[in-house]
Amino acid sequence: MLRSLPFLLATALFAVEPGADVHYNEAVKALNSRDFQTALEELEVVLASEPDNIRYGSEYRQAAIQAGAYERCLNFFDKLVKVHPNAPNAWLNYGFAYVDKIPAAGSITQVILANAALREFTRALRLKPSWIAYYTRGNSYLFWPKVFHRAHLGVADLERAVRLQRNEPEHAYHARAWVSLGDGYWKMDRLQKAKAVWREGLEQFPDNPLLKERLEKDGTDLKGAIEAALDPYKRVDTNLQELWANQ
Amino acid sequence: MKRRCWLHAIVVLAPLGMLAFSVGSSRIRFEEISEKAGVRHVHRTRRFAGKTADVLRMFTSGGSSVAVADYDNDGFDDIFVTDSDTGRPNRLYHNNGNLTFTDVSVETGITAGNDPLSIVSDALWFDYDNDGWVDLLVIRFGTPLLYHNEPSPDGKGRHFRDVSAKSGLNKFANTIAAIAFDYDNDGRLDLLFGNYFKPANLLILKDPHVLPNDLDNAVNGGGVTLWRNNGDGSFSDVTVKAGLSKHTGWTLDVGHGDFNNDGFQDIYLACDYGTDRLFFNNGDGTFREVTEKAIGYDTKKGMNVEVGDYDNDGLLDIYVTNITDDYMKECNMLWHNNGDGTFTDVAKETGTCDTLWGWAAKFGDFDNDGWLDLFVVNGLRSAGNENYIPVLVKMITRPGVDFTNVYNWPNIGNMSWSGHQKKKLFRNVGGSFQEIAALAGVDNDKDGRGLAIADFDNDGLLDIYQTNADQFSLLYHGVSEGAGNWLEFKLTGTRSNRDAIGARVTVHADGRAYIREVDGGNGYAGQSSTRVHFGIGRATAVDSVQIRWPSGLVENINAPVNHLTSVIEGKGTRFPETYLERSHASGSQ
Repeated sequence: MLRSLPFLLATALFAVEPGADVHYNEAVKALNSRDFQTALEELEVVLASEPDNIRYGSEYRQAAIQAGAYERCLNFFDKLVKVHPNAPNAWLNYGFAYVDKIPAAGSITQVILANAALREFTRALRLKPSWIAYYTRGNSYLFWPKVFHRAHLGVADLERAVRLQRNEPEHAYHARAWVSLGDGYWKMDRLQKAKAVWREGLEQFPDNPLLKERLEKDGTDLKGAIEAALDPYKRVDTNLQELWANQ
Repeated sequence: MKRRCWLHAIVVLAPLGMLAFSVGSSRIRFEEISEKAGVRHVHRTRRFAGKTADVLRMFTSGGSSVAVADYDNDGFDDIFVTDSDTGRPNRLYHNNGNLTFTDVSVETGITAGNDPLSIVSDALWFDYDNDGWVDLLVIRFGTPLLYHNEPSPDGKGRHFRDVSAKSGLNKFANTIAAIAFDYDNDGRLDLLFGNYFKPANLLILKDPHVLPNDLDNAVNGGGVTLWRNNGDGSFSDVTVKAGLSKHTGWTLDVGHGDFNNDGFQDIYLACDYGTDRLFFNNGDGTFREVTEKAIGYDTKKGMNVEVGDYDNDGLLDIYVTNITDDYMKECNMLWHNNGDGTFTDVAKETGTCDTLWGWAAKFGDFDNDGWLDLFVVNGLRSAGNENYIPVLVKMITRPGVDFTNVYNWPNIGNMSWSGHQKKKLFRNVGGSFQEIAALAGVDNDKDGRGLAIADFDNDGLLDIYQTNADQFSLLYHGVSEGAGNWLEFKLTGTRSNRDAIGARVTVHADGRAYIREVDGGNGYAGQSSTRVHFGIGRATAVDSVQIRWPSGLVENINAPVNHLTSVIEGKGTRFPETYLERSHASGSQ
C-alpha cells in the first residue's frame, strides 16, 4: 500500500518477478478482506509475470470494478500489451476493461469505450482466434443499436464461436454462444433462423434457462428479454470465472 | 440522488388512490388550428458560409422560440415567435379574442434581430420598468435586443422602441435561454441568461475550436450571465458577485422556482454535454451551488427545465429532458422535491423517462382535474433517409480526435438525425403519467423546439403553441371533454415586480391543496403565459386562495370558480369587465 503506483507499475511491467504464486496468494487474501487496493497491486505483479493468463486478468478487472479503479485498470493493460504485444488474453482483458468502465461513463463516452473494446478484442483475435475471443467480440457487436448495422458482424463471429466449440470438450458456458447467436439473428429480423439456433442450442444444453426462455417467448415478450440482455446501460458481467470453474 | 423505497411505493400506488379524485370521464383533446388562426410561422435556422457551414448550422439548429404575453393589456394573450436565418423577421401575432390572430410585426417594430453577425435564439416578455406594459427581450447569439413597450405614434396601438443601447446588456454571448425573475426581491425583474457556446462569434469564426471539449462532461461552454436590474432602464452583470461564474458548461436552458420554500427564487441549469447545476438562493444577492447534495452529478444532455408540483405535495419539482434515443438512452429526469434540499429522480417510476431527442417540456393541467399533465416535444432533424449517427460515431470513436475543432465534424448534408419523432403527452393520473399524445391529437412528428402554454381564448382550457426548427409552428386549441372546473389568476405586483414573477398561489379546494408560481420563462425556447391556471376537478368552490408575493406580503383572497381573476398586490381582487365578459362569452362553465 505504501508503494507508489509508478514504482509498482515499473516493478510489475519491466522487472518480471519470480514467485508470482506468492503475489497471487496475497491478492486472494486481500480480495477476501475487500482490500482492493492491495489486491490490484499484487495482481499487477502477477500479470506482469503471466500477461496471457486470462484468469489473472479477469480477477484483476473484477477487483478494479470493486474499487472503481477503471482508469488504473485501463492504464495497466495499455502498458501491459505494449510490453507483451503477443499475449492475446492480455488484449482480451484490455478490451473487457473498456467494457467494465461503460456503466460509469456518460452516454457518448460509452460509445467510445464500446468501440475501443471491439478494437482490442479484434487484436486478441488476430493473435489467437479462440472461442472466447469470437464469442466476446460477437456478443459485443450485438449491444450496438440497429442504426449501426453491426448485428451481422456479431452473427459472423458467433457462428465461428459455435463452430470452434464443437472441437472442444463441452462446457456449460458454450450455451452462451447459442443464446447470443440467436439474439443476433433476431436483431437482423430473422426470427425463424433465431428460433432454429436456439432450438439447436437447447438440444445440446437442454437445461439452459436462457435458451428455454427465448423459445417460450414471442413478440414483445421476446423483444423485452433480448433487449434486457443487451441493455448497454446495465453492467455486463465480464467475470470469466465460468471458464475455469469446475475444471 | 436519494432513492427512497417509500417514495417509489407512493409513486406506484398513488394513481389507484387518486383516481377517485380525478375527473373520471375527462378526455384530453386538442385541435390543431395554426393555419386557421393565422399563426403558422415558418422558422429557418441560420445558414453559415464556408467550410464549416454545415456543421455550425447543425449545432445552432435552435432559435425557433415562442413567448406569450398580453402586450396590449386587452385581456388576451398574444404570441411572439422568432426566426433565425439572416434577415428573416420575428413575428408578433395579436390575439383578436376569437382564436384568430393578426400579424402586427411590422407596425409594432419588433422584426429585427437576425443581422449578419447575430442569430436570434429566444425571446422573453417582461416589464423591466414596472410601467404596467410588458417589454420584449430578443435573445441572440450576439448581444440581446431590448424593446420598450410604448403607445404607437398614431395612438391606436402599441409600438416597441429599441432601448438596447442604454440597457447595459452589451456583453457578447451565445445566449440560448433566458428567464426574468427577481432574484433579490427588490421589486425589479432581473435576467438570467443561459449561454451555449463560449463567447466567440460563430459567424466570423476565427478559431475553429468552439465545440464541446468532452461530449459528456464539457466545461468549455458559455455558462450563465446574471443581469441585475438597476431600476433606471439598465442592467449590470453580477454573475461573479452572485457566485455563478464558476459554471462553464453548455447551458441550454435555465429555470427558476422557490424549491426550498424560503421566499427566494432558486435556479436550475440544464446543460448539454454534461452536468446540470442547481443553485439555492442565499437571500443576500448570492447563490450557493447544491448540485452534489441535491441531485448529484450527471453526464446527460440537459435540454429543458420545467418547474411544477406534479404530485401536489406543496413542493416544486423539476422536469428535465435529455436524449433518450435508441442509441443514447439517457432517460429524462423528473426531480421529485424531497423537501429537505434533495431531489429524487422519478422519471422511470412515473413513466416520463423516454421522450427521444427531447426539447421543450411544459406542465399544464389540460383537463382541469387538479393534476399537472406534461407535454414534451422532440426531434432534431428530419431530412433524408440516411442516418447521420453512424457517420458521427465514426468521428467520435477516432482515437485522439479533438471534438472542439469544427473541422473534425462530418457534414450532415441531407441526412436525418433523430428526426420524425412523435411528440409525447403525459396525462397525470395522481402523480404518475400515461402517454396519450396520439389520443389527444398532438402526436405530430415535427422537429419540435419550444412550447408556450396559455389560455388564448379565456375558456379555462389550456392551449399549446409549438415551435419547430425549419418547419411551421403549430397551435393546439384545448378542447378536452368532460374537463373539470378551473381558476385563473392574473397577478399584478405593486411592491413586487409588476409581472408578479415568483409569486406563489396556493389554492385549497375539496380538501386538496395546489400550488403554482408565476414563472418568468421556464422551459426551452418558450415562455408561457404569466397567468396562473388551476384545474380543481369537480370542486365547485374553493376553500381558500393565498398569494405569497415576492415582496413577502401574504394575501388571502376570494376567487370565483371558472373565472379569470385579476389580483393587485395589497389591493385584493379585481374583475376587469373585459375579462369577465370574454370568459363568459367563451363558454366557461
